[in-house]
Amino acid sequence: MKLKYLYIAILSIFLLSTTVALQTNEVADTYKLLSKKSSYTAGDAIKLQFSFTGNTDVHLYCSNSYGSVVLNPDINSSKFHFSIPQSISKKSGILNWQLISDKTELKGQVTIKSKTSIETIESYLGPPSIEVGGTDFTMLVVIPTDDLDNPLIDSTKVDIKHQFLFNQEASDVYTKHGFSYKNIYSKTKSGRILISSESLGLNSKEYDVNVVPAIPTNFKISAERIHDYADGNQITTFKTNIIKDRYENIVSDGTFVTFFITNKDGYKSKTSGSTINGIATAKLLQPDHEDQWSVKAYVEGMANSNTIVLDYKQAVEDFEVTFSKDKRTITIGPLKSFMNQRVPDGLRVQLTISKNGIIEDQSIENSLNGIAKFHLNPDRFPKGIYKLEFTAAGITKTYTKVAYE
Amino acid sequence: MSKTNNNILRSLLLLSYIVIIGLVVYGFGAFYSYLNTGADRSKMLHTEVKQVDQYLPELEWAPIINEGRNIDEQTLNAIEKDYLDAWYVKYVAFKTNTKQGIDDYYTDNASKNIYSIITINSENNTTIEATTLEHHPNLEFFSEDGQLAVLTDHDVIEFKRIFSGETLITEITEKSSYKVTLLLEDGFWRIRHLVKIKSEPYVVENLNKPLEISEIKGINYYPQANAWNMFGDNFDADIIASDFELITSSGLNSIRIFVPYESFGKSALDQDKLLQLNTLLELAETAKLKVMVTLFDFYGDYSVLDWSLTQRHAKTIVNAIKDQSALLAWDIKNEPNLDFESRGEALVTAWLDKMVDFVKSQDPNHPVTIGWSNAESSTILKDKLDFVSFHYYEDVNKLVDTYKGLKTQITNKPIVISEYGMSSYSGLWNPFGNSEDHQAEYHKSMQSIFSQNDISYMSWTLYDFVEIPKEVVGRLPWRQNAQKHFGFIDESGNKKSSFKYISKE
Repeated sequence: MKLKYLYIAILSIFLLSTTVALQTNEVADTYKLLSKKSSYTAGDAIKLQFSFTGNTDVHLYCSNSYGSVVLNPDINSSKFHFSIPQSISKKSGILNWQLISDKTELKGQVTIKSKTSIETIESYLGPPSIEVGGTDFTMLVVIPTDDLDNPLIDSTKVDIKHQFLFNQEASDVYTKHGFSYKNIYSKTKSGRILISSESLGLNSKEYDVNVVPAIPTNFKISAERIHDYADGNQITTFKTNIIKDRYENIVSDGTFVTFFITNKDGYKSKTSGSTINGIATAKLLQPDHEDQWSVKAYVEGMANSNTIVLDYKQAVEDFEVTFSKDKRTITIGPLKSFMNQRVPDGLRVQLTISKNGIIEDQSIENSLNGIAKFHLNPDRFPKGIYKLEFTAAGITKTYTKVAYE
Repeated sequence: MSKTNNNILRSLLLLSYIVIIGLVVYGFGAFYSYLNTGADRSKMLHTEVKQVDQYLPELEWAPIINEGRNIDEQTLNAIEKDYLDAWYVKYVAFKTNTKQGIDDYYTDNASKNIYSIITINSENNTTIEATTLEHHPNLEFFSEDGQLAVLTDHDVIEFKRIFSGETLITEITEKSSYKVTLLLEDGFWRIRHLVKIKSEPYVVENLNKPLEISEIKGINYYPQANAWNMFGDNFDADIIASDFELITSSGLNSIRIFVPYESFGKSALDQDKLLQLNTLLELAETAKLKVMVTLFDFYGDYSVLDWSLTQRHAKTIVNAIKDQSALLAWDIKNEPNLDFESRGEALVTAWLDKMVDFVKSQDPNHPVTIGWSNAESSTILKDKLDFVSFHYYEDVNKLVDTYKGLKTQITNKPIVISEYGMSSYSGLWNPFGNSEDHQAEYHKSMQSIFSQNDISYMSWTLYDFVEIPKEVVGRLPWRQNAQKHFGFIDESGNKKSSFKYISKE
């Protein structure tokens, strides 16, 4: 029993003493910020100094624009200070801090301003090519930064200069949200605009923007040919005049022009070419029989040309058909052209064979030295009566009753 | 004799041949299939890459009236996504002090600033677990060529837990504004400049919302057949409606239900289940029952970088049902103090603290509580909560003292016992357990304590259950069986003797 009282007495003394100790602690731990400066320039050494009594087991949390760190104090007798690392203090923006200790939660913030001197002038220009006409524009965005890569304070003056043909212009803009920008509009001439900017005496490099012509306007076409005979051999060349936009700029090289050719039966062919210095050319083989072409060209969706009409005269007037003894080898020709010369190789001759009004076969031969030859195999065309039809250069010759043994 | 021996020998030989051939064929087959495993051809097209939600803080754009080019929605979404990812990779970097992924979301110059902070922190052995919870960006400028955007992100709520080594040294919540310049570089919107223009400590003004009904006489509810699993394919409105009728007719006025975090789809909520939750509340309204909805059931991660996802989960659920007139209150989480040991009390409490604020911000019209598993824990965050609730499975005789003790600590807020009960299981796994008569006796005395002391209560539970998922009490049969027999109604649907005392002495 005695022991019990003793125990209780010791315990209560112990408890009492710790409580007292705790209380003294509470009284003792005080921290006070001594540094009064609350605004710094980026790169300045920032020291936060505190006076204290009591516990020195403290840390400093501090957080800048990019992240947070925890620092340990440098202590001497009644003061301690925290040196903010260079990599934290060099970034502009708010730096907030908080003293971490058991008792107090002292907190505050300092403002870090970017330097007033410029180091780089970051420019972004786009789009890199614009259209003439005064409505399309390119935009230059300028971010002036100090040597610690902080954007300069707002309302920094930026001079944006550009040159086009004989004109040179400059205009002042002021940064807002860390950047400034200017729209540069095209004029009515195509060409190249040179752009640069300047801020606080620092000049950017030179940028250029291509001003490309606007869409083409309607144009004219012409045709060139060696002769106007339909010999199926020579080539007709189609050509545009110089295609221009509505401001008289020659359209960009490579503008694609399609020529549509309609013959007298209404069939359409097309050929195409791209412009060089505003002129597009395209070629097409001449027909092998009398025909009339009407030609019109388009830059699809944008412009078209006038229609021109070309006549082609018949070159081969007539041809001979010679049967062999068994009538199974047939020689066409010699095929003669407009000066009675033998036609150039490759004139198309077509043979259609029918029996009892039903087409049995169609075969095509090309002329060689003015002659085309057909051979009818007895296995393919057995005994019977056939109708043979030969077509060349638009002329057709028909043999209605050719009997084969 | 020798003939039998021969036959045995023959059959053994034959059998061993078959086995050997079988093994050889299997070997070749395994080898062949091994050579054919690996990348599926369809994977070349990356058709299977799915977007995984990993960071979803609240983000609300100010009306878009930017200078420069008009922005389209797709580009704005791309900027938003990359901008948030930039925060995410930064916080992952500060948590692990590694540089992974930073250069995807920050330009070379901006990355250097983060790297130097990582260097300082790894030298000092500091790690920072952080997240942002809210962003309010305003697009200031979008360049004509679509390669540069400038935005001001106002009032970014940042929460940081700062560790020195393994020790948590402080938790910080700040509200800051940033000026951000982003550049589009090889498909990523990367941060070029980040300047903090304003910062202040963030404290949420705590608004209290009193409980609508002065006396809660309630019960924790699961249908008999689908304990802990009532939503989804198992959802049966007819059964629930008749159960609700039974509950009302037995003299009770409220129920407590649970919304499981994962099976409701985490941050991407299952719309069907939300509809079912709405249906349940409508049925409760019909039966004149009030419903206390317990969120985040079976949630256990708590890591700071997961908070934005839990926030999205809560936002969707709260906004889906906050206008239901049957809604009584929000219970943020069931027995979160049981996670203190594995996740750390500070972390769990910090999460609860932020989640209470968040739920209140989404629904200012309903009171919020936390379902602590015991009376000791129930003073945590008491000033934040609109009413305090705890669960009581201890000795009946100590309840009055416990309750009165709590009353002296929590003077100005209602206290609700949101779970109590007794299992009537005695059998193979616990031959000396309580009988149904014991259970009835227990409920009788509880009810008398409740009426004498004006205590609001919600009992556990209406039914004896047939099946208990292993997540609830594990697989051990003595636990499972005890948990099955807490009901007022037994497995075959008969009212147990305790039913008399479901709502009165």
